[in-house]
Amino acid sequence: MMSKLILLIISLPLLSALLTHLLAGQLGRCVARISVAAILLSVISSAVLLGMSLSGDLVGESIATSPWTVLFYDPLSILMTLVISIISLIVHIYSIRYMAEESGYARFFVLLDLMTASLILMVAAGDLITLVIAWHFVGVLLYFLLGHDTRNTSAYRYAFWTFITYRIGDLPLVLAAVLLFQAYGTWSLPTIFEQMSQNPNAHEVFGLALPEMVGILIALAAFARSAQFLLHTWLPYTMEGPTPVSALMHAGIVNAGGFLINRFAPVFANTSDVLQWVFIVGFISAVIGSVLMLTQNDIKKSLGYSTMGQMGFMVMECGIAAFSLAIYHLIVHGVFKGTLFLSAGSVINATRKNDGVPKDDLYTFIVEKRPGITRKPWLLMALITLAVPLAILVISHLFISVDYFKKQGAIILLFFGWITGAQLIFATYRTRTQNLWRLVFISILSFAVVIMGYIFISHAFDLYLYPDAALREQLYAAASIDKIRFDIIVAIIAVAIVISWLMAYYSERIGVEQKDKSRWWKTFYALFSREFYMTDLYTRLTRNILATSNKLNVWLRWN
Amino acid sequence: MQDMTLLLTALFLPLFPLSMVFNALFTRIQHVALRVILLATWPQIGLAILFTTDTAVPTWMLTWALITALLYAFRMLALRDVGQWTSFLATSWWAVLWLLATDHNQDTLQLYAIGLTIPFILLTLLSANLIKQFGAAYSGLHGGLAQSMPRFSGVLVVVILASIATPLFPNFFIMLKIILNTSSAMPIAILVLLVIWLLWSWAGVRLLQGLIVGTAKPGSEGEVSDIKTATSWLYALILITLVAGSVYFSGVFA
Repeated sequence: MMSKLILLIISLPLLSALLTHLLAGQLGRCVARISVAAILLSVISSAVLLGMSLSGDLVGESIATSPWTVLFYDPLSILMTLVISIISLIVHIYSIRYMAEESGYARFFVLLDLMTASLILMVAAGDLITLVIAWHFVGVLLYFLLGHDTRNTSAYRYAFWTFITYRIGDLPLVLAAVLLFQAYGTWSLPTIFEQMSQNPNAHEVFGLALPEMVGILIALAAFARSAQFLLHTWLPYTMEGPTPVSALMHAGIVNAGGFLINRFAPVFANTSDVLQWVFIVGFISAVIGSVLMLTQNDIKKSLGYSTMGQMGFMVMECGIAAFSLAIYHLIVHGVFKGTLFLSAGSVINATRKNDGVPKDDLYTFIVEKRPGITRKPWLLMALITLAVPLAILVISHLFISVDYFKKQGAIILLFFGWITGAQLIFATYRTRTQNLWRLVFISILSFAVVIMGYIFISHAFDLYLYPDAALREQLYAAASIDKIRFDIIVAIIAVAIVISWLMAYYSERIGVEQKDKSRWWKTFYALFSREFYMTDLYTRLTRNILATSNKLNVWLRWN
Repeated sequence: MQDMTLLLTALFLPLFPLSMVFNALFTRIQHVALRVILLATWPQIGLAILFTTDTAVPTWMLTWALITALLYAFRMLALRDVGQWTSFLATSWWAVLWLLATDHNQDTLQLYAIGLTIPFILLTLLSANLIKQFGAAYSGLHGGLAQSMPRFSGVLVVVILASIATPLFPNFFIMLKIILNTSSAMPIAILVLLVIWLLWSWAGVRLLQGLIVGTAKPGSEGEVSDIKTATSWLYALILITLVAGSVYFSGVFA
């Protein structure tokens, strides 16, 4: 039953793509209904599949025809199939009217259906070749979706950046697949994982244990797909494509990196240093993505960098072995980022009528005759900012498990939760509202609700996606570092956070923002506003490569 | 004698600089039928000569083949002429076939050569159509073909994707086979092969963008005629057969 359902879920969008292409001439714009109906059926089938899985039906693999067309229906693939189907359905429905005035209406829906099928095939792939094929197709189809308007040369320019980055990411995956096949003589992922867990260090490649090498290659493939630092430049520039494609890309496709790392969790469980590097890359991407997001004045580009930051967080979560949390994160991010993209046009439209910039204190005092705002003691506010979120986090985590704080990954997540909570209260303090205490109370309450929900849901995800406690422990062990080194880092970061927030409140109080910006600050800002000159660097590099190719051709007389 | 055989093979399974002979010949011949014959027969002659001796291909020749494939893949980046692009891609592809020469029999390799050459033949036929309409099959010269010749552009896109080893086409499975075959004998060679694959993709997309993207010239609607629906279905049939064949034969991975 399960194998038939998963085959149906993949076949429906493929069938719809074929019918949409064949019937476009007769049905005109109504042809989109076929596409929407097929995806709706996929959603229903995926929901049934998830229901069956949750009710404890047997989970296993379904072998179709040959050794490399294996479909795998484990909790990860079942959950991801439902997520992809839902996001795809929303994008399909939105596109019916949004794309109505565009040329190539039927082609758009054909590509959308093929993309949905490829994404589902990617998450349900039970063997390496199917995974590589689906992974490759996603990049190719995204190129044509981003360049849907064939008259728009700049859309194609940026679609090319996406394509080439994705191709760069395809190659490590191919290499990993080949190395695994040579070591274990099978393409089947469950068989490979099983054999690897029995004797992880049985094979060596280039002087490294096989899991270590494969872990590095899989991480590289994930970095390219999830726009991690140095492979991120395509993401903020792909806004020339249709908005539904941006939504699908930011809500679903870029998350594939997190999925891939999760799919290869049994490999990462047998690595020693890879997850630490994954954490570092994720951390750098999260920080740079978030800062670049703040320096953009274009809403869609800002959303692009926001996605980069969120992908950084997701990869970072993998780096601390919170694999199921990364899946939860990518689902939540998919939903909110998809919504943001689909409503970006309305926001731009509304901003043209009202810019929404708040009036300053002087204006409201003199013109509107409102009383001046009395500021609360900054030190008291700073202490509340530091203590309350930390208390909420610690108490919430204690509900899950008393020994939760023995895990290094949990401590790192705690820091991020702490900073986020503190940021929320600080932002509330800066709003200069008349009724600060009420607003602070609401902020803390909402933070507590979000944290409780986040912790309980992610814990449920952990139990559903990784029911094997031994594997979970193995993953935590693989992501851990030496205890003394870790404790020193934790102490330094904790002190830095406390000092930074105290300084932030003090600076806010004395109005340091109003002082002249130093030259250093301007250089720093220029560097961020030019996105570290990475785009310029890559463009220069590309031009040099093409010029060298041309010179070589001239030198060899074009033969 | 054996060295002479290998050198002669290097002319037909072209290795640089002997590869310049094939490329010069392909450029000089303008007639489409002759170009198709040249593409179809050239690697088959090479394989037939290669298997006349029982000599194992020396490692230095495999390295030479890899360098040739890399060189032509790199040079493809700057090409704009569809015909020249096809001949460079064929050269690069046929050169990597050397990596399978030691472990495979003649029939298998000849089948591979046929499978991977069919997209090049289709591309040659498509470029002939462009030459007929515009006087040259040149990327970036006209542009906007997706607007003026939508059926032709659709076929062109799929044929180029097939040529650059996009999954499900024979070229993809052959490339995978080559990588698999090479990894145990020459581990570093896999990295070179992956770079070659990347360069093919890059060159393919550059060529496509120069042809199909952009605004069609004003008034070109009347001057330019798209391929007939029946012709596009014929192309589709050939491509579907290629996919079906490659999926069927990919059972070799068992």
